[in-house]
Amino acid sequence: MSTTLQPYLKAVRQTLTAAICLENFSSQVVERHNKPEVEVRTSKELLLTPVTISRNEKEKVLIEGSINSLRISIAIKQADEIEKILCHKFMRFMMMRAENFIVLRRKPVEGYDISFLITNFHTEQMYKHKVVDFIIHFMEEIDKEMSEMKLAVNSRARISAEEFLKRF
Amino acid sequence: MAKNTGSSAFRRVDVDQFSEEKYEEEAVAEDEANGPNETDIQRILNEGRNFDALLHALNTAPLSTKNQLVKERVVQTVLKVLLTFKSNEIDVAVKSLDQPQLDLLMKYIYRGFEYPSDGSSAQLLTWHEKVFSVGGLGCIIRVLTDRKRV
Repeated sequence: MSTTLQPYLKAVRQTLTAAICLENFSSQVVERHNKPEVEVRTSKELLLTPVTISRNEKEKVLIEGSINSLRISIAIKQADEIEKILCHKFMRFMMMRAENFIVLRRKPVEGYDISFLITNFHTEQMYKHKVVDFIIHFMEEIDKEMSEMKLAVNSRARISAEEFLKRF
Repeated sequence: MAKNTGSSAFRRVDVDQFSEEKYEEEAVAEDEANGPNETDIQRILNEGRNFDALLHALNTAPLSTKNQLVKERVVQTVLKVLLTFKSNEIDVAVKSLDQPQLDLLMKYIYRGFEYPSDGSSAQLLTWHEKVFSVGGLGCIIRVLTDRKRV
């Protein structure tokens, strides 16, 4: 199963590199406004075909592009209840601090656990290949952090149960 | 203040639809193409000619039809064809396709990812890698920008 991780990340990286070609585009609907078209979705001609890349039934990535913005939604593997809760809390923690992340979206897209929104302003300020590197690194590290946290939760639970039951 | 109109329904009219600059999808003549015949494909697969089945599917792709059911059905058929290939056959097959066929194949690969089943994603990832090594980033960009969705 872990043999699909590297091809999966490679495919996501290649698709991201292709989709992150963004340019400035002012709103066609409201004058003097500049909105990320992938979020507004009023003009069909500005939107690209949304594309999914899946590693298995549980893990997938949805990449929606447009002329001036890109939305990446990630569904993270959650095998049991504990992982579901940990994932939810961890993502919530990060999404509350979305401003510091710059490219993070405050709410995940329906059906996914976390979403990124990259606009042309971000690509003007930051190196595109570095942004792509960041997203891929994020996807790699998430799984590791989740297993670490799960182990920590389990060992803490065991230790506290032991301490408690020593009384009897 | 007295209203000077009988009804205010005019307020609910969406005036933007009448704008001259509004984008309209090119009205392509709706092709009655129904995609490849499934029994045909099954027959070719049973004969072991995987590559021929793939070629047939790519040449009869229903690009201009608006019928979503037809497209869904064809995606499942093509997915079946893609999964019958063995890993060493993929290389040969990809090298003998031309540019438009590669783009079409890439479209099907991405559609195939939307229906993950046991082991299908791993095989599709191999396909993706091989097609990318021949088609490059241009192939992916053409999938993203082409309005003729598969």
